Amino acid sequence: MDLFNFQTPRSIPELIAAKNSANAWLLAGGTDLIPQLKEDRRKAETIIDVKKIAAMTNISAEQDGGLNIGAAVTATTIAQSEIVCASYPALAYSVALIGSRQVQNRASLGGNVCNAAPSADAVPALMSYGALANIEGTKGKRSLMVEEIFTGPGRTVLEQDEVLASITLPALPENTAAVYQRFTPRREMDIAVAGVSSRITLDANSKIVDAKIALASVGPTPLRAKAAEMTLIGEVPSLKLFEAAGAAAASDASPIDDTRGSADYRRHLVSVLCRRTLASATKELIQGDLP
Amino acid sequence: MPEEFIQHANPKGSLETIGKRLPRIDAGKRVTGEAIYPADMHLPGMAIAKLKRSPHAHAKILSIDTTKALALDGVLAVVTAEDFPDLEPGTSVPMGQGSCDVWMVGQINMARHKVLWVGQPVAAVAAVDKHIAEQALELIEVHYEVLDAVFTMEDAQAETAPILHDSIRTSGLDAPINKPSNICSRTIFERGDCDTGVTSSHAVTEVSVSIDTAHQGYIEPQAVVAKYDREGLTTMWVSTQGHFTAELVTAKILGIPQSKIRVIPLEIGGGFGGKVFVHGEPVAAKLSEKSSKPIKLVFSREEVLQGGSGPTAAMQAKVTVGANSDGRINTLIAKVHVDAGGLPNMSPAIILQVLAALYQTPNLFLEGYDVVTNKPRTEAYRAPGGIQAAFAMEQAIDQMSEKLDMDPLNFRKKNFAVTGSIMPAGTPFPCIGVQEIAEAIAKHPCWTTPLEPGEMPRGRGLAFGYWRGTSMTSACHVTISGDGRPMFTLGSVDISGSSTAMAQVAAEQFQMPLQDVYVATGDSKSVGYTDIAAASRVTRTMASAVVDASQKALDELKIRAATLIQRMPSELTYDHGSFRTADVGGPSISSAEVMQSTLTQGAIVCHGISTDLPFGVEVGAHVCDVEVDEDTGQITVLRYTAFQDVGLAINPAAVEGQIEGSVVQGLGWAITEGFDYGDDGRLRNASLLDYRIPTALDVPSIETVLLQKPVPGVPYGLRGVGEVPIVPVAACVANAVYRATGARMTQMPMTPERVLTAIQANKTN
Amino acid sequence: MSKEILACTVNGDKQSSLIDPRDTLLEFLRDRLGLTGTKEGCSNGNCGSCTVIVDGQTLCSCLMFAAEAQECEITTVEGLATVEGFHEVQDALVRHGGTQCGFCTPGVLMSAVGLFNENPNPNEDEIRLAIAGNICRCTGYEKIVKALQDVTANGEVA
Repeated sequence: MDLFNFQTPRSIPELIAAKNSANAWLLAGGTDLIPQLKEDRRKAETIIDVKKIAAMTNISAEQDGGLNIGAAVTATTIAQSEIVCASYPALAYSVALIGSRQVQNRASLGGNVCNAAPSADAVPALMSYGALANIEGTKGKRSLMVEEIFTGPGRTVLEQDEVLASITLPALPENTAAVYQRFTPRREMDIAVAGVSSRITLDANSKIVDAKIALASVGPTPLRAKAAEMTLIGEVPSLKLFEAAGAAAASDASPIDDTRGSADYRRHLVSVLCRRTLASATKELIQGDLP
Repeated sequence: MPEEFIQHANPKGSLETIGKRLPRIDAGKRVTGEAIYPADMHLPGMAIAKLKRSPHAHAKILSIDTTKALALDGVLAVVTAEDFPDLEPGTSVPMGQGSCDVWMVGQINMARHKVLWVGQPVAAVAAVDKHIAEQALELIEVHYEVLDAVFTMEDAQAETAPILHDSIRTSGLDAPINKPSNICSRTIFERGDCDTGVTSSHAVTEVSVSIDTAHQGYIEPQAVVAKYDREGLTTMWVSTQGHFTAELVTAKILGIPQSKIRVIPLEIGGGFGGKVFVHGEPVAAKLSEKSSKPIKLVFSREEVLQGGSGPTAAMQAKVTVGANSDGRINTLIAKVHVDAGGLPNMSPAIILQVLAALYQTPNLFLEGYDVVTNKPRTEAYRAPGGIQAAFAMEQAIDQMSEKLDMDPLNFRKKNFAVTGSIMPAGTPFPCIGVQEIAEAIAKHPCWTTPLEPGEMPRGRGLAFGYWRGTSMTSACHVTISGDGRPMFTLGSVDISGSSTAMAQVAAEQFQMPLQDVYVATGDSKSVGYTDIAAASRVTRTMASAVVDASQKALDELKIRAATLIQRMPSELTYDHGSFRTADVGGPSISSAEVMQSTLTQGAIVCHGISTDLPFGVEVGAHVCDVEVDEDTGQITVLRYTAFQDVGLAINPAAVEGQIEGSVVQGLGWAITEGFDYGDDGRLRNASLLDYRIPTALDVPSIETVLLQKPVPGVPYGLRGVGEVPIVPVAACVANAVYRATGARMTQMPMTPERVLTAIQANKTN
Repeated sequence: MSKEILACTVNGDKQSSLIDPRDTLLEFLRDRLGLTGTKEGCSNGNCGSCTVIVDGQTLCSCLMFAAEAQECEITTVEGLATVEGFHEVQDALVRHGGTQCGFCTPGVLMSAVGLFNENPNPNEDEIRLAIAGNICRCTGYEKIVKALQDVTANGEVA
């Protein structure tokens, strides 16, 4: 590791100014960045600790019923937040899967997004909730859907002068449920071989009117399973429907072979997890067994 | 109480300290952070060493240029193989009943002329801090001629395979071939006529398995501090399973007399066989000599996994069993290939013996091959070869019991070896509680309670395991303090709570409370030669040495006591710290009083040595219940019970701890661990994230059932306990998975993907 | 880029020390303060041997720069026992044989203390989850879990 300069800005403008230089990296939890620096996978001239910026460490309710989560808020804070647990349980569940408790106490939501790992556990839930990424830079602010941030493994659309300030979770319609499940050989301390977050909204007749399915670890970035979503819209939940959605999700995936699993196995897991998450989400909305 | 128990008991014939569940005598410093491991050492002026490692799996080293590295500010010394004597292949030092191949250990520490695996060291640097040391590594220029490499045993044995060692000729062939080969040795055990055996069998079954390399997974990476002083003495503070072996080997690798090296063993943060050999100690010593600074060398976790230490051997095995209609085995054929890594390993003899030891058969043919490949030279791991062998054999046994429609426990009971029956190597089967274990299982709820159905398929598995261990030699000495208390110095390092066990033996011998005895490990210059802490030998053999030394010291004390109270020594009995006569109201004298009066007349120093103690053969059996997710292939172990004949448990809590830890190591290898090498010979999962050692969430509570059948001719009837509990684990899980799903597991670890593939294949058939 | 001064409290003692910005909290504790009870097993947050408590939260000290600990309160394994004796979690581990080679033990203790600070009466699943980030290779976790259940049974933890 080469020597770097360590900065601790107190506001977002200060942060943007500091970041607008070559090889400047934001440090929130450090659980991804520090190993990358140690292994020389990233070179840093400037490390900027964002945890002293109040705006980035708060969870605040939006007026329209949504929720704004500062990019530096830790996984543990999110997992223990009453409002997150009540309104966005798939997110509360998924952040509690990141590494171990020691890692969750440090890892930040913004870091999980900006590290742009295809396996990021928090990201599929954010995507299926339709979350927005609020970006600030020298030219002003912009907001993107979370899935629009990623351009490849470890790469995002963020410019050198831009930072992810917060994530906004929109207010959800009635009769909406989301569930994230991942598959790992170990129960904790592991990276998803595949992960699926499924969110559905039902109408008064129990028909699916909205579905957002997001996949982890089965492509260069976290992916939306749009073909799977299409199979669901306008249909009444059933095991057969969810099987079909699972099969469609498997075709939405574009996994690779690596030490964590073969592409074929990952595709298979996507279909299983898609079916299971849909069934589990439906269970939260409808009493009784699925037809 | 059996003879062996009471042989050395107190006058009442009972045991007072042995057999008690006591905390470790060193537990306090472990929970406060005061226990010192080599990486915790700091010496004034200490420099940091780093190793430069080969990026290639097989290459000639054409040249190494260290000029630029040496010119970097803050760099103190650089070493390469040129700094060490060029040892002849075959150079060795004594170790146990055999020897330790120093040429091989030399190659592990520093490649010469050729690299044989990714991660083999080629140079080392010492610098004032780690950042400079890391920079300096980048500046060392190594030119290689890259050679074709082989990563699988199949490829290594091919006619056109690149040859790793021009000097190797396959040993043990019926007709020797004078041509270099990657097959180092062939080993055969044979009796009867297997061809006829197979054709005359009522039922024949066959199991072929393939087992991946796994790592011991000790949490403390290799670490050493070495200091070369002005008098030419090198002191090394090490984490090792054998400081005498470390000293012998390091002296030979450095080409210095053993009198010029002193090895101080510190705490060892787990070894499990992987810290028998030195990994970097001679390099640190040489850097210290060249820089005149104390040197600290600590491996990173990636180095530990990526070629810096020896994992354990991958294996392929095919087992064929034939049985008569009455349920008796009449034929056993096994063919085993062991993947040694880049340098020859041991002959597979012990693996073959372990594979077949538990069962009687008139016809036997066991064949084993030791094969080299361009991967890290493998080293021992808890009952080396045992879990792999049992994964094949105990599945074959399970399969045969099903074929004969017999209960798997009853089928085994019918075929078990009995004391005196002839084992594969021609030696008699020892006195050990195999049948007793079977009886205990038959009555235990883990076996008798029906398996409750779950949402997913469930199954119950059973497997037995055998391990021979060894004895080798152990030494200690005792002196008696001015207040009559014994103070022991042991030649063994403590990898299993053995120091606590020795304190219990010493307390038992001197009939004193535990806190009245002092027990510590001596360094290589303060106590007699003792072999490595391995092969389930330390507690048994050191106990024998402690008994030996204690008896001698008590005899000397008795002579002094007799003089003081003017009686003949033969009239005196030792009883809880005092010598007394048999006559009522006769004189008595405490050992404290004896020493108070005689200390300055000369020290009492008595040594104890144990050599060629009967082997403390180990047998255990495991029962587990699993649930299998047929959609993902994930195995969940619901319940696990381990039965073991432990001879006599000096400290039952410590013995349980050995078994519990062993089982969980076995579960790791059985399900989630395993080395994954890429096409370039690099390990793809060289981190503790992707080399998945089980966490507390991945394993159930482990129940242990201890049976105690003493070993004849050994003080207290002690036998080894620490190795066999890993042997049956993978087979036990595999048999349970089979009962749950009908799919036979042929690959280990049984990763979810492999289990799913096996289930799907089974459904297709 | 010069070295900087880190001011923090470690085990109740105020510390002020020159650090290299590249120093992790683990390196600061071990190499600069000589508090070597905290162990380095993997350097990547995958083994938990370096677990310490910073401002009430357990974390892997290998995954935090020392510079981030400015004004922080840090507790390491050396800070658990008092002159009166062991912390209850230490005592339980000793009594139950929950430490073997001892290398993971400091990290396990810190995770356990973190757990009891948050939840004085955890069940077995909660205990196993709380120490899931601490890899132990010797014990099979059995006696660690039993020890921590015994702490639970004994009630409140200091």
